[in-house]
Amino acid sequence: MLDIKKIRDDFPILDKKILDNKDLIYLDTAASAQKPKVVIDEINSFYSNNYANVSRGVHTLSVESTFRYEDARKKVQKFINADSEREIIFTKSATESINLISNSFASKYINEGDEIILTVMEHHSNIIPWFLIRDRYKCKILFANIDSSGNIDQNHFESLISEKTKLVSITHLSNVFGTIVNQKIINLCNQAGIPILLDGCQSAAHIPIDVKALGCDYYVFSGHKLYAPTGVGVFYGKENLIEELPPYQGGGGMIADVSTDGATFTDLPAKFEAGTPPLVEAYGLGVAIDYVSELGMSEISEHELRLTNYALNKMQELDFVDIHGANGNKHSIISFNIKNVHSHEVSSFLDVEGIAIRAGHHCCQPLMKHLNLNSTARLSFGMYNTEEEIDIFINALKNCRDFFTK
Amino acid sequence: MNDLIKELYQEIILDHGQSPRNFGECDPHNKSADGHNPLCGDNLKLTFYINNEDVIEDIKFTGEGCAISLASASLMTEKLKGKKIDVAEEIFSDFTNLVSGTSEDLKVLNEEDSLYALKGVGGFPMRVKCATMAWHAFKSALKS
Repeated sequence: MLDIKKIRDDFPILDKKILDNKDLIYLDTAASAQKPKVVIDEINSFYSNNYANVSRGVHTLSVESTFRYEDARKKVQKFINADSEREIIFTKSATESINLISNSFASKYINEGDEIILTVMEHHSNIIPWFLIRDRYKCKILFANIDSSGNIDQNHFESLISEKTKLVSITHLSNVFGTIVNQKIINLCNQAGIPILLDGCQSAAHIPIDVKALGCDYYVFSGHKLYAPTGVGVFYGKENLIEELPPYQGGGGMIADVSTDGATFTDLPAKFEAGTPPLVEAYGLGVAIDYVSELGMSEISEHELRLTNYALNKMQELDFVDIHGANGNKHSIISFNIKNVHSHEVSSFLDVEGIAIRAGHHCCQPLMKHLNLNSTARLSFGMYNTEEEIDIFINALKNCRDFFTK
Repeated sequence: MNDLIKELYQEIILDHGQSPRNFGECDPHNKSADGHNPLCGDNLKLTFYINNEDVIEDIKFTGEGCAISLASASLMTEKLKGKKIDVAEEIFSDFTNLVSGTSEDLKVLNEEDSLYALKGVGGFPMRVKCATMAWHAFKSALKS
């Protein structure tokens, strides 16, 4: 069992008071996670004591920076159980990671008439890059349907697969429903020999990740949702696959380099890291990975699942609340609406009670159109949340309903 | 109940949010524009008719949105109907100042005005766009 009180002490922002001295109740971790003090302090320390550009100079600071940067890569590799650190590319965001693979993959493999399969519940960052590819290469983007629980409609997904399918790119854990992709979907792609990309923005922070056990060919996630700083994302690709792919951007640092400790880089991963990388941010991600690993991803995952089910049970008792995909197996994320009250009103009302939730379309407009909704409210959990916070949230929901539908 | 919330959701806002006035499409109309809030997906369509004396003879809107955006659109149509364009433009700039918290030098609006009910939006910076969506649609329709 996690010691949540001790964890909360690690996050300075949780001491913040909102407006009329309300305790902050942060239920928007799916948008971005708060940062533990150790991450904040280590970033400060890096800039204060060790900072220089990486993989370029041979002076002491360059070595120290490069060591820290490459060490972070090893931590990511271990964190997602990749075979090699050559498979770990640092980007500025998960969005850039998807733009990297879409551009690089398409320039080698996509021709007119080819098809790429997504689902209707993808985040815009896993739709728009593919639209850009479609416009450039005259390929087709197909959208798999979802069922009422917020899971991929397996029959429909299967019916979309053909010899024209070149790639499947889908969310691992839905940022609207909190549902986790069924392993059968990944297996189907593997059996058909179609490469599959998992968007791990939500999953990396909430469930233990093993890219080999999952069977995905590509996996992307962002640092900031994993208690790390903004400005760093990860792209993982199987070594034999990304070795064949051309670079995404050109610039400095793409070729082999030398530093005093003798480290040299081959094509991978530097081939995909043009320009000075987000090195301090990547280091911060490594620190965050150490932090969550020490607590145990399984323990964090269990705690957040407990919170999710606790909240779901309480919310299902409220007849004025519609939970979207209520029957799905949710993890850490619950989208809902109060009947006849716009999600903006809910969020503003909760805000003055100190409660931070997300309202809007969650960068999932195709899904909102599919659900025939204008917007939803969403609460999401991090390791620092508690049952007491959910009780306060539930009570505030009741007050909100009373206020707007009196 | 928090005072900020009470100020934001005054009775008149909730009323217009639930039962917006001038909801529909002007027939005929000679100006129209779509308003869109990309943050949340709220949207509206504004239509109005300007006669040959530069007076807004009729103005209506349709769309979906939160109470703030609907009430603001509804109150806007009530306020602008029958106004000359130059006066309407002054009201536009007064209103945008009012809801963004710079309400010291208003030219045509005063505290007696129903639009003043939206002043509370200033306490919620992220909601300013909800309140101004219809107004920016009006401005862009004028230019069209």
